[in-house]
Amino acid sequence: MEGVVLALFLCLILALITKYLSVPAIPFYILAGVLLGKAGLGLVSSDEISHFFSQMGLIFLLFFMGLGLKTERIAANRSSVLTSGIIDLNVNMMIGFVAAYLLGFSIPESLIVASAFYISSTAMALTSLIENRKLMLREAETVVWLMVFEDLILIIVLALISAGNQNLIIFLLKILGVLAVLYAFAHYGKEFLISILDRDDELPILFTFAAVLTTASFSMYLGIPETMMVIALGVAFATTDPDAFEQHARPFKDVFLVVFFVFFGVTIDFSGGVNWYMITVICLLAIVSKLISGILTGLFIHGSALSGLEIWGNTIARGEFSIAIAVLYGSPLVGTTIAAMVIVTSIIGSFTAKYSTALRRGILSLGRKKSPPHRVHMSR
Amino acid sequence: MSAMSLRSLNLPGVGTKYEFETDKGDTVAIFFTKTGTIQMYTLQKGCNTPSAAEMTPVEARRLGNILTGAIIEADQESVEIAFSALADLRVTIHSFLIPKAITGKTIEDLQIRAKTGATVIAVCRHDRNIVNPPPSFIFETGDAALVIGESDQIRMFEREIMVD
Repeated sequence: MEGVVLALFLCLILALITKYLSVPAIPFYILAGVLLGKAGLGLVSSDEISHFFSQMGLIFLLFFMGLGLKTERIAANRSSVLTSGIIDLNVNMMIGFVAAYLLGFSIPESLIVASAFYISSTAMALTSLIENRKLMLREAETVVWLMVFEDLILIIVLALISAGNQNLIIFLLKILGVLAVLYAFAHYGKEFLISILDRDDELPILFTFAAVLTTASFSMYLGIPETMMVIALGVAFATTDPDAFEQHARPFKDVFLVVFFVFFGVTIDFSGGVNWYMITVICLLAIVSKLISGILTGLFIHGSALSGLEIWGNTIARGEFSIAIAVLYGSPLVGTTIAAMVIVTSIIGSFTAKYSTALRRGILSLGRKKSPPHRVHMSR
Repeated sequence: MSAMSLRSLNLPGVGTKYEFETDKGDTVAIFFTKTGTIQMYTLQKGCNTPSAAEMTPVEARRLGNILTGAIIEADQESVEIAFSALADLRVTIHSFLIPKAITGKTIEDLQIRAKTGATVIAVCRHDRNIVNPPPSFIFETGDAALVIGESDQIRMFEREIMVD
């Protein structure tokens, strides 16, 4: 218990500092965990309490993500979501997988590294768009939908990895069964749900907490991925009053997620040896491969490679979902690699997001100087 | 005049966007973000980089008042509302800082209604609001009064009461 308190206190200070400097807090939470844990001073070790808190953090993160996935809106924007999403998925999954495999990971491990490598941090991308006042850029919309697409892929990845060697048909039937129950509940119980959410007492928050926990533990009992089911619960509840659910789930998500990040850092173990060569390669590739997918997306959607640069600048940062994949399925070596990738990309990403517009302008004026008669194609 | 097309769009995880192009080809976009702030972007025709301002909800409302053509002074502001369904009834609500001259007097003493036709509907004192103050209400220094009436009545209030 003291460990959790110490970690939380350190994170509180880090949160204050990172908010003040407006840099992402996630890499510093992980570094704090590394410093306190096995690989560092050894002051904090994970116990049952921290494990429970971390799990809550993950579950509420995914529930929150589900609340944001409004299916009818995705269907309305299908073409723009699909083109950019498919480019992003193919380029990054492929580069991530090939790199991990060539570096000596087994095929299943390479798949896990590739998934973590592919998925950008939604939280950091959206915060950077808002904080750097980029919402009006047309690339901003592309980035937002890209994040939605990545979330959808994450659901599929979670299902695929956790299917493992179960009987697939029974596994799918169980999932479909729970999904049907969740949707029926949200559909036929809509009035009931809204009447609960409208109350001023402790009921709405208690109900939200209980619903998420019940779904998670019931899924575990059935042997289907609880991660996927809490996302499904979020999607189902989003058809009633998503804003109210977000409001009631936010305190749990905010607190437990910090514990989740710190204790991910705490459990990182360098005793098995750290392959710095491997880590450096993965980190560099993580930045380069998003540049390739960003430029391709820019060319396909906006007809401009410079737009791609803007997309790249805002999607470099890997974060919460990469760590979630590492925690759920990663071996220690995979975990360390993903941790390093998240720390490096999120710190570099916060700079590229801040200066991408200046970078764009620099390249434009450079292009003009080199070839004065040639008009640089201005987008918009 | 071409019809102004206002586009609204919901961006998942970010908030709601409203965007329109002016007659002259400039673009204005407003975002109500999930973090509770409001961002306004303006993009001049032919320009590539928009400029942005971030506002709190209070600041945004203030900007809204200015844009609707209401008068805003340092600490005093006024809003005119037109009800087109009620024979184009126009009501003005104006805030005034109470000057030293009338502190210690009641609404009844000042004969506000009889002299001007306007009504004091609220008084803000030390960040607390007193709505519908009674005639016996005594003004203090630092009070801000919210007065409602037609624009003539408000002008009368400013001339008759505020200088008293």
